[in-house]
Amino acid sequence: MTVSRMRVLIVEDEVLVAAELAWLVEELGHEVVGQAISSDEALELAQKHKPDLALVDIHLTDGPTGVEVARRVSQDCGSMVLFMTANQKRVPDDFAGAAGLIAKPYSENGVREAVTFVQHCLEAGCPQRRPPLSLTVAPSYAERWGVGGVVKRQESPTSH
Amino acid sequence: MDQRTESQRVGDRLDAEHGTDDPFAAAIRGTRMSIVVTDARQQDEPIVFANDAFLKLTGYVRDEVLGRNCRFLQGPGTDPAQIAKIREALAAGRDVNVEMLNYHKDGTPFWNALYLSPVRDDSGEVVYHFGSQFDVTEKKRFEFELKEAHDGLERAVRERTHDLQSALDQKTVLLHEVDHRVKNNLQLISSLVQLQLRRSQEPAVREALSAVMERVGAVSTVHRRLFQSDDVARFDLADFIVDLTDDLGPIAAERNLRIDLSLEPVSVASGKAAPVALIVNELLQNALGRTFTDGGEGRIHVIVERRGDSYRIAVEDGGGEAERSRLEKAGGRYIVDLLARQLRATVDWHAGEGTRVEITLPVDGMVPA
Repeated sequence: MTVSRMRVLIVEDEVLVAAELAWLVEELGHEVVGQAISSDEALELAQKHKPDLALVDIHLTDGPTGVEVARRVSQDCGSMVLFMTANQKRVPDDFAGAAGLIAKPYSENGVREAVTFVQHCLEAGCPQRRPPLSLTVAPSYAERWGVGGVVKRQESPTSH
Repeated sequence: MDQRTESQRVGDRLDAEHGTDDPFAAAIRGTRMSIVVTDARQQDEPIVFANDAFLKLTGYVRDEVLGRNCRFLQGPGTDPAQIAKIREALAAGRDVNVEMLNYHKDGTPFWNALYLSPVRDDSGEVVYHFGSQFDVTEKKRFEFELKEAHDGLERAVRERTHDLQSALDQKTVLLHEVDHRVKNNLQLISSLVQLQLRRSQEPAVREALSAVMERVGAVSTVHRRLFQSDDVARFDLADFIVDLTDDLGPIAAERNLRIDLSLEPVSVASGKAAPVALIVNELLQNALGRTFTDGGEGRIHVIVERRGDSYRIAVEDGGGEAERSRLEKAGGRYIVDLLARQLRATVDWHAGEGTRVEITLPVDGMVPA
């Protein structure tokens, strides 16, 4: 299978985590076009580079602004977005236009599989296998890709 | 003839018709129950008879009440709805029961349980109304006090519930915050080790760091799973193994290894999740260390099952050449033995053509999911 090179934006306020993720993405043969630690940086870099894929943490240096970043980047730049977060309940039901989420703490293999999965989806328009367990696919994408409803997991039953 | 005089006349006639030797009249006059009779045929229904009990109850003398409509008993605190209820019943020719606030002559209020009933002549026409009054002030006071106490209690319960709910909400937020931080810190640790691993070319260092990575990864998988279920106190071992093997799937495939799972659902107390997960990780990583130089396919079988009052976790591989057993090289066996002691588990090592390791855990702390 020919693996094409994706242009990837990393949005993550923990720079060590971002650095390692960048290594991993490049190891998979992709190009990291930028690393942002705040929403402003993320939007600027996204506008400038129009990446194929944005890996977006929800909590950034300017607060839980990753959701809005995902919405804007997926809408305005046509990028595919994956959340990478330890705070799954911050992800809205519509995933803010993101294609899915990778829960932290993730494994290197989990990220490899998830990134490769969405790359195949981007290339072929549909997946060639079921999504890896490391990737929770957004309901709208699950429908589009015909991979069955991967429902966002409910966290606490407590009402607020 | 004015109303007063007319009422007097009607009253006199009633008196005359029912003399002192009439036992029913005597009973009505003498009873302790307050009673009045009003004349339905006169304008505005004036009182034509009031017994002594009525006068005693209301504080008026007979001359002050005869010829007047009963409404002089009403006052500012009287509920208009009760008055309307009386009016409606009278108009319909029905009897009626109400409890309303009335006033003594001296202006002090009392609660009056009033019963009004029409009296008809032979042709069926309503000619009088008969009314009895009963002072229920004490009963009403008791009712009000009871209601107040009840309302007070309800208010207290509501306030208490609200306080408890906010405390619970705060704790839930705190729990999520702590969970969030634990996960982020595990991510940070994992990234740090991985970055270090990338900087090293030394095989021994890389091997050691890889083993640390995998162990941190096993603990990370535990934490990822812990808060995904509703029951934060239990951890599903089968789900964990599915997660871990899915993660290792590509590596296994590269090495021509197939992983088969025979998993009975078993949940472990959260406190034991990490040690159990670390043991499973060591055994799996060891099995993955097998390489097949002849191009054949190897098989790893992971079994979780209940056997009497214990649980058995077994990992077996079908042999093949291991460069050097991971259990030896990275101190895996040492870790498994230590954790087994912590879990009060026994470890059986079977080395034949392949390796088969069985962990037997007491059922305490593990229950069928």
